[in-house]
Amino acid sequence: MSAFLIRRLLRFVVVCLGVSIVTFSILHASGDPVSLIMPEAPEADREKLRLALGLSDPLPVQFVRFVTNAARGDFGNSFFHREPAFGLVVERMPTTLGLTCLAVALALAVAVPVGIYSAVRRNSLGDHAATVVVFLGQSMPVFWIGIMLMLLFSVQWRLLPVSGWSTWSSMVLPAVTLGAFTTPLFMRIIRSSMLEVVNLDYVRTARAKGVSEWLVICRHALLNAALPIVTVIGLQFGLLLGGAVLTETVFAVPGVGRLIVNAIRQLDFPIVQAGVFLLAIIIVSVNFLVDVLYVYLNPTVRLR
Amino acid sequence: MKRWLLGLTALFLVALLAPVGAGAQGKDTLTIALPNHAPTLDPHMHFERVGVLVNINMFDSLLHRSAKLEFEPSLATSWKSLNDTTWEFKLRKGVKFHDGSTMTAEDVKYSFDRVLEPGKEKKKSPQYGNVRAIKEVKIVDADTVHIITDKPFPLLLERLVYFGIVPKKHIEKVGEEAFGSTATSGTGPWKLVEWKRDQHIRLEAFDQHWRGKPAFKYVVFRSIPEVATQVAELKTGGVDIIRNVSPDLLGDIKGHPLTRISTTPILRVHYISLDMRTAPFDKKPARQAANYAIDKQSMITKMMAGLGRQVPTVVQPPAFGFDPSVQPYPYDPKKAKELLAQAGYPNGVDITLHSSSTEWRPQFEALGEMLTEVGLRTTTKMWDPGPAWNKFFQAEGKGTHGQYGNWGNYSVFDADAVLHPFYHTEPGGWIGKHYARVEGLDKLIDEGRSTIDQPRRKQIYARIQAMIKEEAPSVFLWTQNDTLGISKKVAYEARPDEWLWLFAAKPAN
Repeated sequence: MSAFLIRRLLRFVVVCLGVSIVTFSILHASGDPVSLIMPEAPEADREKLRLALGLSDPLPVQFVRFVTNAARGDFGNSFFHREPAFGLVVERMPTTLGLTCLAVALALAVAVPVGIYSAVRRNSLGDHAATVVVFLGQSMPVFWIGIMLMLLFSVQWRLLPVSGWSTWSSMVLPAVTLGAFTTPLFMRIIRSSMLEVVNLDYVRTARAKGVSEWLVICRHALLNAALPIVTVIGLQFGLLLGGAVLTETVFAVPGVGRLIVNAIRQLDFPIVQAGVFLLAIIIVSVNFLVDVLYVYLNPTVRLR
Repeated sequence: MKRWLLGLTALFLVALLAPVGAGAQGKDTLTIALPNHAPTLDPHMHFERVGVLVNINMFDSLLHRSAKLEFEPSLATSWKSLNDTTWEFKLRKGVKFHDGSTMTAEDVKYSFDRVLEPGKEKKKSPQYGNVRAIKEVKIVDADTVHIITDKPFPLLLERLVYFGIVPKKHIEKVGEEAFGSTATSGTGPWKLVEWKRDQHIRLEAFDQHWRGKPAFKYVVFRSIPEVATQVAELKTGGVDIIRNVSPDLLGDIKGHPLTRISTTPILRVHYISLDMRTAPFDKKPARQAANYAIDKQSMITKMMAGLGRQVPTVVQPPAFGFDPSVQPYPYDPKKAKELLAQAGYPNGVDITLHSSSTEWRPQFEALGEMLTEVGLRTTTKMWDPGPAWNKFFQAEGKGTHGQYGNWGNYSVFDADAVLHPFYHTEPGGWIGKHYARVEGLDKLIDEGRSTIDQPRRKQIYARIQAMIKEEAPSVFLWTQNDTLGISKKVAYEARPDEWLWLFAAKPAN
């Protein structure tokens, strides 16, 4: 058990290092950062700035400095906002995480019952209908679904606010939009892993014992089918954080995604670096947690 | 698992049934949609249009500009020039700041000094360039200041229209950072209640404002990046005013029972600047040919919903110095072909034009088609308005053979604010230093900006306009409109300077 965890932890560290290399190179990938910051300035002024930013040191030195600063949450001041970039990102993180978690919760709330139904009543009319509807959802791009939902629920029927992030009701449309994107995958996974177990001997035994069908499905079958779902949630989390960028822009949600998009437009590197770094670390952490959870849920993993 | 699910479903239902909060606005609140917020509420420490629109409703300047573009007294009740470089301003008495203090000549001097930072090499304020001509602000007595410029500066009054006066003692007490975010204080009609980043800036009417009470007690500037979302908010009453409505959305907003359009011609002028250093545009007939090749009126009618106006040169009709006797180039493809042959290209020539005005891409491509038709076979290259374009255009100036774009004079209603950046060849300049090579033009532009004798300046600008019409250093196109989408509950009209001066807004009926 502990060997397994240590291996996973090591992998976590390696991935973090990779993330910091990528984030570090963002600044350098776009050419000379100084001529981007002050394109019209005379060479003497550029040299001053280069020294002040430490850009004339050798790359490895710069990288080590970047990593040590990043570990302390110091990515420098945002060029546009003129305050620490890390603070600006952290300030907006709860909103983005909230949106993502709400979306996952909504997606599960739909995918679990529908997935179970599709597996139990396999090839029924309902199964096919569910598949079609859900796949329509996935084939539509996030921003399009967002605008369509907005036109229907807010402009046409006046049920929900158009945009913002202040009341519970204003969170519904962004969460549904983002959730619609991931529901089909959850549903397919639940359906197929349920199909794998519903015909196994122990399920038949349970039925034979006279356990009610409801209990057979929920306790015996579903609990064993739940493992792949946990994995997929971990994997989807990263995709969802990416989808949050679009959702936040469409619904004017004050989150990290929108901050980063704006920063890219304004060539505000510290914010881009801080944002990408933090998001990447969160995704890696979630996946690490999923691994740990997996061990807890599935004893056979420990033996390997 | 089951109970957990049940809880979630219940939560979802509660959320659905919760009252619609953001959509419904009180009658005493006016809500404006902006694509984003400026980094600070300090009027001197940014140069963002979205910030200016907020600041003008919280801070007064020495002068104000009416919707008819005339100067009006604001914090200064009267002004006159004493000589070529000294202006005298009489200050309004008893004006209160939001923090309760009374405005004095000290505050006026302080406001200029914090931007000019005399003696410092590196200036903190991005607006320094606007007022750099000011050498000194002198306090004469409690109600009088003199503004002294280093040389005759005809644009001084223009520059003072957006130059907020800030409270010295208050800023020294709370510090610059708090002043720009939580403890903002001006003399304007509304004061700050709260600023929630990326969400809204909420203002409340200041009851001691010298003009009296505005019609709306609260003003809210919401930050909504997506245009479709802004339109949806407008239709449902979540916001009352949206800006920069594009021609394709006009019908939608006009047709809705709760919304209307307000549009007005503005300074923003569209042009193709031609590279006069290299072939084919080093030859005058080729440049004129390009001007004859464009059917400007069709473009305005068919591609801009009629919301534009042909211009004879780049000088805009509302700008000081505009000469109405100069006529736009007519559309004459036959003449264009002849001129091109005269320039030595009877079989036409291949050219490449560049642009970063992504929202005007269809118009850019149509221009390329029209030029191609007369033999200037054009490749249009659209750039993302980011780092690559900056490098390409600003640092190296290789936008051969020309560049399509638009220019808004930074809302300065004076011919100099377009002629200097476009055609003056001095190193600090903008396109002019790369492209323009018109004999004698630099000297005329310099003459125009070094006297405050307005009739004489008018004469100089008339000469310049005749000259550039003939020399055609650019393809002269049109000025565009500013178009607002407005709730029918609000009485307000778009202004030619693109300002949102909300003191003029009232509830309709």
